[in-house]
Amino acid sequence: MRRTVLALAVASIVSGCGGDGGDGDPGRVTLHRLNNAEYNNTVRDLLGTELRPADNFPADDRGFGFDNIADVLRLSPLSLELYEAAAEALITDALAVPTASTTQTFEVMSDASVGTALGTGWLFFTSGTASITVATPIAATYRIAVRAYGQQAGPDPARMSIDVPNRPTEVIDVTAVAASPGRYELTVPLPAGNVQLTVGFVNDFYDAATSADRNLWIDDVTVEGPLDAPVIDGGKRGRILTCPTLADRSCQSTILAGFAQRAWRRPVTPDEIAALLRLVEVATAEGDTAEAGLRLALQQVLVSPHFLFRVELDPDPRSLIPHPLTDYELASRLSYFLWSSMPDDALLAAAAAGTLAKPDELDRQVRRMLADPKAIALVDNFAGQWLFIRAIGDQDPDYTLFPDYDQALEDAMRGEARRYFQAFLNDGVPMDQFLTADFTYVNDRLARHYGLPAVGTDELVRVSLADSPRRGFLMQGAFLRVTSRPKRTSPVLRGKWILGNLLCTPPRPPPPGVEGLPDGMTATGSVRDRLEAHVTNPVCASCHRVMDPLGFGLDNFDAIGAYRTMDSGYPIDATGTLADGTPFADGRAMVEALAANPAVYRCMVEKLYTYTGRSPYRIEAIESIDELTKRFIAGGYLLPELIVDLATSPSFVARRGEP
Amino acid sequence: MSFSRRRFLGGAGAMIALPLFASLARPRRARGAAATPRKRFVGFYLPCGIVMANWTPAAEGPAWTSPILAPLDPHRAHTLVLSGMNNTPGRSDGGGDHAAGTGAFLTCTHVRKTAGADILNGISADQILAPVLSAGLTYPSLELGTDGGSSVGDCDTGYSCAYARSIAWAGPTSPLPKQTNPGAVFDRLFAGYDPDASAAEIARRQRYRTSVLDNAREQATALHAALGKTDQAKLDEYLTSVRELEQRVAQPINVCRPGDRPADGLSFAARSRAMIDLIAIAFSCDLTRVVTFMLGNAGSSNSHTQIGITESHHELSHHMGAQANLDKLTQINTWEVGELAYLASKLAAIDDGDGQTALDNTAVFCSSEIEDGDAHRHTNLPVVVVGGGGGSIASGVHRRQPGAAVADLLIAIMNGLGAPVTTFGDNGTRPLPGVLV
Repeated sequence: MRRTVLALAVASIVSGCGGDGGDGDPGRVTLHRLNNAEYNNTVRDLLGTELRPADNFPADDRGFGFDNIADVLRLSPLSLELYEAAAEALITDALAVPTASTTQTFEVMSDASVGTALGTGWLFFTSGTASITVATPIAATYRIAVRAYGQQAGPDPARMSIDVPNRPTEVIDVTAVAASPGRYELTVPLPAGNVQLTVGFVNDFYDAATSADRNLWIDDVTVEGPLDAPVIDGGKRGRILTCPTLADRSCQSTILAGFAQRAWRRPVTPDEIAALLRLVEVATAEGDTAEAGLRLALQQVLVSPHFLFRVELDPDPRSLIPHPLTDYELASRLSYFLWSSMPDDALLAAAAAGTLAKPDELDRQVRRMLADPKAIALVDNFAGQWLFIRAIGDQDPDYTLFPDYDQALEDAMRGEARRYFQAFLNDGVPMDQFLTADFTYVNDRLARHYGLPAVGTDELVRVSLADSPRRGFLMQGAFLRVTSRPKRTSPVLRGKWILGNLLCTPPRPPPPGVEGLPDGMTATGSVRDRLEAHVTNPVCASCHRVMDPLGFGLDNFDAIGAYRTMDSGYPIDATGTLADGTPFADGRAMVEALAANPAVYRCMVEKLYTYTGRSPYRIEAIESIDELTKRFIAGGYLLPELIVDLATSPSFVARRGEP
Repeated sequence: MSFSRRRFLGGAGAMIALPLFASLARPRRARGAAATPRKRFVGFYLPCGIVMANWTPAAEGPAWTSPILAPLDPHRAHTLVLSGMNNTPGRSDGGGDHAAGTGAFLTCTHVRKTAGADILNGISADQILAPVLSAGLTYPSLELGTDGGSSVGDCDTGYSCAYARSIAWAGPTSPLPKQTNPGAVFDRLFAGYDPDASAAEIARRQRYRTSVLDNAREQATALHAALGKTDQAKLDEYLTSVRELEQRVAQPINVCRPGDRPADGLSFAARSRAMIDLIAIAFSCDLTRVVTFMLGNAGSSNSHTQIGITESHHELSHHMGAQANLDKLTQINTWEVGELAYLASKLAAIDDGDGQTALDNTAVFCSSEIEDGDAHRHTNLPVVVVGGGGGSIASGVHRRQPGAAVADLLIAIMNGLGAPVTTFGDNGTRPLPGVLV
């Protein structure tokens, strides 16, 4: 791999030479296994697939509240087994060939003991079956049509059975008679391969007294399909098989080098290509096709450590002297930070040109990436975890107490929080309004829930909150819901979240054996009354005195975020005092006071810094966060500028070894 | 995810009624009269403690009664209730008893309190048993559960999510993550099963997989040399996994007929049932003889709406002595034991030959990470062993074992199942008397 010597501002980096932490130390990021979100996004961008294999991988561990911390991202034998299976499924999907729909017609013949050929078809004179085998190119929906009539007798019409794999037997009344045979259809999913279909006559009837005899005549069976053949993106195949003569070694080499370079996010060496070509030979030596061999090699690319891990190398793994990342390593740091995915062609091209680390180019690339739709990953993964948006839906509120809560409301709440964050990420709203903004995004369902005028659409639209008591993120449904219990609000959870995620001063855990406020055990007041009575232990009170008032300030919002003035028949008291002694009269006053606290902005920077995959508690991290915070505040609290500043900061573009 | 159905449902084979133990490609171990029983182990984890007043039977001996254990009535002869037992290594260091108790559930080891990379536990009993019981089978063990994990925040008061989500530990730093989607488990167990495949095709597929993994190992080995020590430790996880998978690939392919794939998106209760069905399938197909199953993670917040209880289990488990809360918890606990009883029924329906069922041959250790949700104690734990352990477990009674260590019980179970363990975890020093016949 080529190592580019960068002309970046290394002065500040090397000044910390030899030290472990401290001024100028970029620290190091542990070999980073793609987490589940990154895996899904990466295969999407690498292959164009809609498969999401990682949805069924084991859940990722979290560190510092995020699931992209390499130190705690483990890899188990189960994971590798699932990676291997996923590689096969992904390559099969990517190389699928479009399938045309066809109609196949089959004659029906059974055993002479149950019937006889009659005309163009078969007459069952007693109950029996006949089977045909249909070649189905892919698993999909097919239409089975049978031309038949009954020689009717007895109380019921002749009945025909149709058996297809993996479904209960279908029994059809054949009411048609010989004069005009009927066409009986069944539209069913069939697996791929040679599928056996069985038709039969199930209700033979004969009355000796009257000679009434019921029989079933089946002419032929046609199978049409696949009807809903997935629209196969021929481009997926073409993007990988970039030359036509797959049997040629040079073509194989081109295909594998092109694919591995993208999958491994760096140029590949001739030795690496040779090893992949040997896998092609493994298959062709067995008599398999060149394509089968290529599949094997392509699968190997996806189970390689170079794909599953983001590899960053140190010239000397034991040296503490900081060194710039290679351009390719930097491309991956940027793309996984901003997109939770692999670098795109433009980033790889900049890396190949050796220009990516140049300050102007780096700045330009980061801004380009933020404007790309893939930057939604910052909403999914950064805001999703920082703001707990991911947790909505984890637990339903009690449906007897909150019968209005439904999927549409939950979806709208999630959408509101996501769209609101995008106002700061994409629309230029400064973060000092995050807690106090007098606008939000609602659709009709959410407007009704919030007591706002209807907006006339199911889409989220920006509305003013000027005439509403709501302000800012803490008064949105998603936050209020995920910090509540199923049956009631939890001022403790709300306060704990504010302390931990907005002020970065999480409360100490409760002492053993002291937890919890029971539901409705002693209905002696509002949740606030009961909580205040409960927190009499001085050990508990030392934390709850700080934590609970933050929740009390939001007490006008119930467990599903609806506005209220009473709790369990008791009037809401949303007054309180912040830890620094600032009193507040209600929720609006509380969020105004919080927004005036610089600690909130340092905490935002700390969360974003942590999301780059690094511990926020190391000395060099604390220094970086302090510096970034100064510029964040001085620059007007602009989130995109903070992201650019962070992604171009000396510690982001460098690393060092370890002793 | 839509894995190709072709591999296990494809072709005409899907319509041929294969017998359950069809031996298409793999000569099964002969089951002669003197054959060793197929001894098996299940670790069955219940979260958030139990209402012990409604669990612990008043009477010792065979005539025990218990409201919560009532679902096990049909299996009384195969049930050993042990009361008063402790797993003191499960104590937390200043909060986090759910995670600490769950980490110690099958390791009886005091886990290191950390949310970072430096997790430390011991090997779990199931993993000591895995190489003994599952030698030569496709999977040394299966790790299953109903819940992947909460989606945000901390796992438990400064303890790693690994402690809260994994009861199976291959070693002090190697938690074995579990699968929680029954459909994905099905895909895993029966991937590669193509009823149309010839023996030659199966063998070729194995050679292909081995070649792919060989390449992976070579890539990782070359990379290893270029890394620092922390990165090397991460890559070691990969290399270990490659070696394990290579061994697995070399095993004969599973040809057992699987039945239908469970649907995706099942509810909590349906996931539990589907997972238990898969445990039974894995045992009847002899894919493994060791399984751990978590009916929720440490301090589970699941709502048991399948029995009309909408509160979070964890929240309710801090019952404050309120009768209404205790009643609901008792309902939850009884439902949980019902799931255990369902497993027992499924095992009883598996014919192991020689007049034995899988229930006769399995030892299911069932307990919780704490005694009572309100107190977070690791003493007087709810403990029940279901199944005969291949004739080794002295079932059919309730026995008081005040102060006895769960570690000693697990030594007894391991001994009964054939692992000659003499010490275990932090405090296991002997096989607990009164457990083995």
